[in-house]
Amino acid sequence: MQFELGVTKNGLIHTKHRMAQTISTHSSPRDFLRQHSDMVDSLVRKAFQNAQSQVSSPSVCLMAVGGYGKAELAPYSDIDLLLLYSASKKEDLPPLVEKILYPLWDLGLDVSCSSRSINECLKMAQSDLHIKTGLIDGRYLDGEYEFFRNLYGLFTRKILHRKVRDFAGALTKDLHLRHQKYEDPNYALEPNIKEGEGGLRDFQMGRWIIRAKYKTDRWDSILFPDHSQSLEKSLQFLWAVRNQLHLLSGRRQDDLTFELQEKIAPTIGFAHGTEGIEEMMRQYHLATQRISNFVHDILERALYEPSLFKKALSFLQRKKIDENFGMAYGELYLLDPVTFKRDPPRLMTLFHHCQTYQIKMDFRTEEAVMESLPFIDDRFRTSGEVNETFFSILKKGERAAGLLRKMHELGFLSRYIPEFSEVEGKVHYDLYHVHPVDSHSILAVEELEKLRRGLYEKEYPLLTSLIRELENPGILFLTALLHDIGKGREGNHSLIGAEWVERIGTRMGLASEYKDPMVFLVSHHLSMIETAFRRNLQDEQVILHFAQKVKNLNQLKMLYLLTFADIKAVGPEAWTAWKNTLLMELFLKTAHFFERGAVAEPFLTGDEILQKLRESLSPEIISEYADRLPDRYLSCYSSAEIARHIDMARSIEKELLLVEWEIEKEIQAKVTVCTKDRYGLFSKMTGSMFLNRLNILQAQIHTWEDGTALDTFWVEDGTKDIERRLQQFKKDLKKIVSGEVPLRDLLFERIESNGIKQKIIPRVSGEVKINNQDSDFYTIVEIAGEDRLGILYEITQALTDHGCDIHFARISTLGNRIVDVFYVQDEWGEKIEEKQKTDRLKQILLNRLPPREGITLKDHS
Amino acid sequence: MKKIEAIIKPFKLDEVKNALTKIGVQGMTVTEVKGFGRQKGHTEVYRGAEYKIDFLPKVKIELITSEEMVTQVIETIERAAKTGKIGDGKIFIFPVEEVIRIRTGERGRDAI
Repeated sequence: MQFELGVTKNGLIHTKHRMAQTISTHSSPRDFLRQHSDMVDSLVRKAFQNAQSQVSSPSVCLMAVGGYGKAELAPYSDIDLLLLYSASKKEDLPPLVEKILYPLWDLGLDVSCSSRSINECLKMAQSDLHIKTGLIDGRYLDGEYEFFRNLYGLFTRKILHRKVRDFAGALTKDLHLRHQKYEDPNYALEPNIKEGEGGLRDFQMGRWIIRAKYKTDRWDSILFPDHSQSLEKSLQFLWAVRNQLHLLSGRRQDDLTFELQEKIAPTIGFAHGTEGIEEMMRQYHLATQRISNFVHDILERALYEPSLFKKALSFLQRKKIDENFGMAYGELYLLDPVTFKRDPPRLMTLFHHCQTYQIKMDFRTEEAVMESLPFIDDRFRTSGEVNETFFSILKKGERAAGLLRKMHELGFLSRYIPEFSEVEGKVHYDLYHVHPVDSHSILAVEELEKLRRGLYEKEYPLLTSLIRELENPGILFLTALLHDIGKGREGNHSLIGAEWVERIGTRMGLASEYKDPMVFLVSHHLSMIETAFRRNLQDEQVILHFAQKVKNLNQLKMLYLLTFADIKAVGPEAWTAWKNTLLMELFLKTAHFFERGAVAEPFLTGDEILQKLRESLSPEIISEYADRLPDRYLSCYSSAEIARHIDMARSIEKELLLVEWEIEKEIQAKVTVCTKDRYGLFSKMTGSMFLNRLNILQAQIHTWEDGTALDTFWVEDGTKDIERRLQQFKKDLKKIVSGEVPLRDLLFERIESNGIKQKIIPRVSGEVKINNQDSDFYTIVEIAGEDRLGILYEITQALTDHGCDIHFARISTLGNRIVDVFYVQDEWGEKIEEKQKTDRLKQILLNRLPPREGITLKDHS
Repeated sequence: MKKIEAIIKPFKLDEVKNALTKIGVQGMTVTEVKGFGRQKGHTEVYRGAEYKIDFLPKVKIELITSEEMVTQVIETIERAAKTGKIGDGKIFIFPVEEVIRIRTGERGRDAI
């Protein structure tokens, strides 16, 4: 049985592979399809002839239909046969069909055969779209030729060339249904080469329409030569890929999976590895894009091209828009076909009209656009009129994404902004980026447009109000279009992109107030993502650095919007509520910084800090410590002081704490304490100072990121005995911090032995403010009141007792009045926000402000 | 065998992942999750409008490990995920009856 057709199953597979090799499928894949089809023809004929000799049968005609009918047969494609019989004798057919099919099936060929009479064929072709399209490519194989001629003549005359518009309508519906199945983003990554958007089936559809409408099989005859050449190239490419798909998987495999992408790329002339795959997929997307444009163009012509009668009628309905363009049937058309050649800037006017009148251009105008692409030169690109019109399209923001897509489809965008052609069809070989860079960029513009139109108002009210606040959304749209433009080149795509955007902006004649934010946004378009998802947003330092990078509120808004559009345009699953929350938190905290003006004023920027540190520190030390030093700290001290502090910080790894001082004018001293931060440290220090009758005039306390506490006090002692008192203070503090003696005991002891009494001074009323508005990270406690020895100890002790961790403090004394500011958090590192707690804290602090009787100190003088 | 599930702060994911890889953990499942515990959400105000963050974004890590490794894995996660502040997250440990690798049909420890 197996040798019935003179070949074995394995022999056949072998032949296919050999054929593929000798033809070198990637140079001329079509030759392979033809040869393969010829080979199958001879097998089918042999099977047919054998069958006819074995069973008595009526006269029949054997036809090839579908893709096989076109004599374009991929290695494992279906083989569809049609057995035509004249009228009767239907019952004799099944044995014949069996005899034909079995040997072919034994060879592993995927053959199916239907048997119909001519009348049945015609009837079914009228009602069934698939039978109709199968017949278009029908081809005579063997048997009664007369039957074939008969059927074919009737089919083309009575069915194919009639009701072309209905046929186009049915195909359009079919196309949309088919694409819907492949809408899943996974198919964008692993596309189906036959059924997917811009796949081989789409091309077939276009061809069918041409057959029906223009009565020709030469599809290229109705296109521009450039256009048909590039289409032919796209087809050859898809065929080459499909042949390999089939041969490598040994079956009809049309899904271009990741695994197969990797295997196929090198077989059709791309480099091994990711680069080759990405380039192949780029070609793939370009090819399917062209085919998709082709089929839509052809369908549109068939659906909307007015009949002669209507054309005559429409002459009356025409409306002139200006001297170059007119409107008819809701379509924009060009009055004089040579307008663009004579005056290229009208191209941009055309798109502007499309936006203004909210209509599309007719296909002839589209053709005129494509034909005039060579006239887009540097003069066009730098023309003030052209660029202004382009910006006004973007600025208006209505249907801008749709127009950009049209510009791209017609090849106009890549001529106008040549840098954009670098990212056409560019793909990432990963699971995350669903769309090639060019479609991703246009989708990003579309997302911004949707946001602006209020489509996301319910889900994302903040983003919606932000985009509506923007004065010039056009700049943001243009940035979204160009944000990934650096992806065409090796290296950091944000930085390359920023360079290119600078160049593009200059060419377009953009003022620097618009160009600068664009360059900034492109170079930083991943900053917000990196900060929001990978940094601690509870850390003030993180927000501050981010704010310094972003520079101002306007850029922050645009960056947030761009980040949203960028992620949303990656794919339907990329943008999640989770990401939304983190980005929103980062935006709000950073915005608060700008609104309070707290970014630029008290702190130095990253560069200024580095410059300052370089004055007295070695690069090694800077790189070791720069990240640990909070900006608030860095802004308070000179580089020499910081250098000294770093030395101190190094020694406290061995010692518990270090105290240094400089005495000024015999009665005042600047005291620096360095130790590891611990809970209640500040009150222990102020307590020890109190013990030694050191009056604190000012204090600055800072905690480094690594937990090193660096506190500076300016103290006063009227007795000129300050050196001795400071020595004693150091001893006491060591005892207290090490836990040797509790502060409470020491205080009690000394107060007893000294019997100190309080000097009487004029009363100043106390005031406590608890502020939760001015910082997202700390509760700010502001205390003003009467100064006296030990007051700072009492306040800080009260704060500590109340569960407040002091992170930063500024103490100052004005005459007999103190003004102290404390930045505190609770023991969990959160702000103290509950009203009950803040009220109690306020009360406790107020209670400490008037002089108390419990601890009274006698003034020694 | 035990299943270890940890809810951590998002920005700690890289640290925890690297620490786990270092001690030889081969794979884990990571999910973006939202929720609240002692650390409640909050309301942010911008230009007079309130924006509520009621569920806080966290990351959930799930992995299966042999009995001997359990303590080490837990300690590693604890150390790497800790900031000492509220909302550092939790670690849950569950007993696992069986593990099957679908491709090969391997069971038990071999399938981890």
